Amino acid sequence: MRSKTDDLTAGGTRPPSRFKASGQRGRHLAAHALVAAWAALALLAASERQTLPVARWLAIHLFLLGAATTAIVVWSEHFAVAMLHTRLPDRRWSNTRLAGVNAGVAGVLTGVWADLPALTGAGCALLIAAITAHLVVLVRMGRGALGGRLAPIADYYRAAAAALLVGAVLGWLLATGRGGPRHYTGLELAHVHITLLGWIGLPVLGTLFMLWPTVLGVRMAERTTRLARRVLLLTGGGLLTAVAGLAAGQRPAAVLGMTLYAAGVVVTGYLFARTPRRSPAVSAAAAWMLAAAMGWLVIGVIADLGLLTARPLAAVQEDLGTLVPVLLVGLVAQVLVGALTYLLPVVLSSGPKERAALRAVLERYWPARLAVLNLGVALMALPLPGPAGTAGGPLAGAAAAAFLALVVAVLVRGRRGPSRTADGSGAARRPVLWGTAAGAVVTVLAVLVANSGGDTGGSDVAAGAAGAGSGVTRTVAVTLAHMRIRPARIEVAAGTTLRLEVTNSDAMRHDLKVEDGPATPMLAEGHTRTLDVGRITGNREAWCTLPGHRAAGMAMSIVVTEDTGSSSGTDAAGAHDHDHGSMAAASDGGLDLSADFSAGWRPRDAALAPVPGGTLHEVELRAAHTEVEVAPGVKQQMWTFGGSAPGPTLHGKVGDVFEVTLVNDDTGMGHGVDFHAGSLAPDKPMRTIQPGERLVYRFRAERAGAWLYHCSTSPMLQHMGNGMYGAVIIDPPGLKKADHEYVLVSSELYLGTPGSTAQVKKMRDDTPDAWVFNGIADQYSQRPLKAKAGERARFWVVAAGPSDGIAFHIVGTVFDTVYKEGAYLLRPDGPGGSQVLDLATAQGGFVETVFPAAGHYAFVDHDMRHAEAGAHGMVEVSD
Amino acid sequence: MGTVGWWSLVRFAHVTGAVLWVGGQLALSLVILPLARRLLAPGAKDRFTAAAGRRFGMLTGAVFLPVQLGTGWAMAWHRGVTWASLAEPGYGRTLAAKLALFVIVMIAAAGHGIAQAKGRQELARALAVVSLVGSLGVVLLATALPST
Repeated sequence: MRSKTDDLTAGGTRPPSRFKASGQRGRHLAAHALVAAWAALALLAASERQTLPVARWLAIHLFLLGAATTAIVVWSEHFAVAMLHTRLPDRRWSNTRLAGVNAGVAGVLTGVWADLPALTGAGCALLIAAITAHLVVLVRMGRGALGGRLAPIADYYRAAAAALLVGAVLGWLLATGRGGPRHYTGLELAHVHITLLGWIGLPVLGTLFMLWPTVLGVRMAERTTRLARRVLLLTGGGLLTAVAGLAAGQRPAAVLGMTLYAAGVVVTGYLFARTPRRSPAVSAAAAWMLAAAMGWLVIGVIADLGLLTARPLAAVQEDLGTLVPVLLVGLVAQVLVGALTYLLPVVLSSGPKERAALRAVLERYWPARLAVLNLGVALMALPLPGPAGTAGGPLAGAAAAAFLALVVAVLVRGRRGPSRTADGSGAARRPVLWGTAAGAVVTVLAVLVANSGGDTGGSDVAAGAAGAGSGVTRTVAVTLAHMRIRPARIEVAAGTTLRLEVTNSDAMRHDLKVEDGPATPMLAEGHTRTLDVGRITGNREAWCTLPGHRAAGMAMSIVVTEDTGSSSGTDAAGAHDHDHGSMAAASDGGLDLSADFSAGWRPRDAALAPVPGGTLHEVELRAAHTEVEVAPGVKQQMWTFGGSAPGPTLHGKVGDVFEVTLVNDDTGMGHGVDFHAGSLAPDKPMRTIQPGERLVYRFRAERAGAWLYHCSTSPMLQHMGNGMYGAVIIDPPGLKKADHEYVLVSSELYLGTPGSTAQVKKMRDDTPDAWVFNGIADQYSQRPLKAKAGERARFWVVAAGPSDGIAFHIVGTVFDTVYKEGAYLLRPDGPGGSQVLDLATAQGGFVETVFPAAGHYAFVDHDMRHAEAGAHGMVEVSD
Repeated sequence: MGTVGWWSLVRFAHVTGAVLWVGGQLALSLVILPLARRLLAPGAKDRFTAAAGRRFGMLTGAVFLPVQLGTGWAMAWHRGVTWASLAEPGYGRTLAAKLALFVIVMIAAAGHGIAQAKGRQELARALAVVSLVGSLGVVLLATALPST
């Protein structure tokens, strides 16, 4: 065999046989020792999964990026040489590429695990460089090569290398948080698809075209070549479409792409099923395992297609949590096991006798291992409760570990083979390699143990410390959503015992880990867990430990404030109270107004719609609970008229009649309405109606002005504080047309569960979480109103309260018209000017100004506490 | 006493012991043994390596181990480490991992001696490297422990 190889490398004219081509026994030994080491580490990480959330990520990537990638790089090069009937690439460069891939993978894994983004980036760059080199070699092999019947299979390897390049870039974006929180879901789905179905799926499919008949010991079907080309078009093209669709958040494109991919897989499966069988097969073990793996690929792809079709992307991402392990073990691990069972004896043996001996070792107990592995995968795939659901992983792991042990035995035996006599220095070096590997493994294990903090043991300790604390306990509600942690900052007095009530309101799973402290387990959507952080004596950070989430912005800081006097007083009063980001009012904490609104959010249109025709205006107002994004990334349950807070603006002329039908769609709560613009007896038309009832409310607008309407049911502080208010604009006669006419309803915003003690306390104390225009903090700062220089703009303002008025000011302008509470205070022809429209709670009016030049004009509540906590907007004036 | 007190002397002895042991292993396996293999005749080489190994092993057992165990124990006592605290995340768990790795290293070193005596060269070499790499791991974990 050695002489044959020498012939090949020297002459390169004789086409090699399908598998014996390389004869690079030493290289195969080393490469498969690497594969085995990665797989062993992956098994270790998988067994640590309960205590280390990042360990799940590590387990998946140690296996796929470490073991599977090394195997694919080695075998795709090996097979490409065989398929294309070309000469071997330079061995030294091959080794360099393999070393580059492994060093890059080690860098990425260490970087993510130890939270060193620079190392992650460097590892990624090295991996990309090495895979690019691999791709270049594969492409160059095709040039001038003899080519064979199976040449199209090399295209699978090329496509796979390209897929890994894309996958690595996507992975880097995810791990370092550069993709941004909005695109995280799409990017992660794209990453999973292109790596699992592209980098791993395509070479598996391609190789099986040739490996399947080989392990069965039959001739390849005539149509295989043609079919292989078509299947590559289907799967490769489909995958490209799917990944582009996922990355862009376009579900139909993803579904189309996955349909094509699934079609390719099914066609291949059909071809394999139709391949004639011979008894006995060359390797029944390999055949059964490859068949089972193909089965799981078909199941996985079809399940994925079904999920993509039926569910939104965010939910698919969550479901992939179950699907990925199934593909990982059922497909990838099983293909590796099956293929290596056949291939390792071929490349490691020097004669038929030795080959049979090695194969006998690798096939030891194969029916049992096959059954246990697939039972494990099936248990993982099925949504079983209790121990049956959790037994799948350990079962599959045991089967994999058993094969790993056999591979190690074969590698050790292969090492003792003829190479020892042939190459003395190589034999002398091997114990050093083994020793280094073993030493490194125990060291990594020890470091893993040393770093495994923050599990339940840790939280016990912290809780114990809390008991010994000063007695001041604060509970803060913390929400995980949209790749953000709310509040992003918690201020506590030194010595306070802090408890965090952590709720995940995201479709994606998250956890929260406090620096040097406890961590929650992974929380699914809607799950809550209380964390006893213990006594706070110094500043701490907290973050979500899922790889990339912290970098994408899921971090919060716990800050110790110096003045223990005043704040500890309120803390004591609010001991065991739930304050949801109430610090916003007192400081810059709480709401993060610079954050992004979630995707799909729209600001409320500030433009005042023109008066509709006719003198009778019929309006239906439905009272209900509605969830509204009231500040960047913060959703709040509001009580609304017409589905928004403030409710719809009613616009008319003096003398118009409004016929308002109030419908109470709410459950368990009465509502009423009070229109300041009309004069009616409070106890009849303003009465409270119960859920399901309706009430027609008719009033004539006798007088002009900017009027408030609000819910008339007590406690009005709560009904108004939770959003049940709106504006009625009645134009004064002779009002001139302005270029822009806006209506801004100012109000306070109280976060937390509507009606809860904590929220009501904030209302009573007048310590809102934000002050807002048209219900949403800073919405017009992020989406400015547009105007042109020299245009006249009219701003109608109504102060809805429930407690604070407003001092409305536009930075950089002077008002030439002020109309307040039904009277002009200033007209354009007068000599005076005005800077602020001051409105007490429930008052209204308008101001007019002309923007002098292009620029950004901020409009604010000039009470700066309010302006800096949300009562801030922008007019973008262009030439 | 000033900055350099009795406890720094204890720590000094601990660190120096580790330096000498790890450094000795590195010097032996990277400098002395390769040179011996290259320069000495096969018979002399075997005798030399065996003697060097025996001597290093004796030093380990007679000096290094007692010093490390004694000073290590003393520092743990000084810092108030208890058996229970070894399970806690952070300092305790890091120390526990370090101790476990140290035990593995010592077992590997002892196994190296036994394998060498039985003439199983390859196993002996592999175990020697395990011991060397493992002791570097011990040093890594030691640097992760906050100063005592």
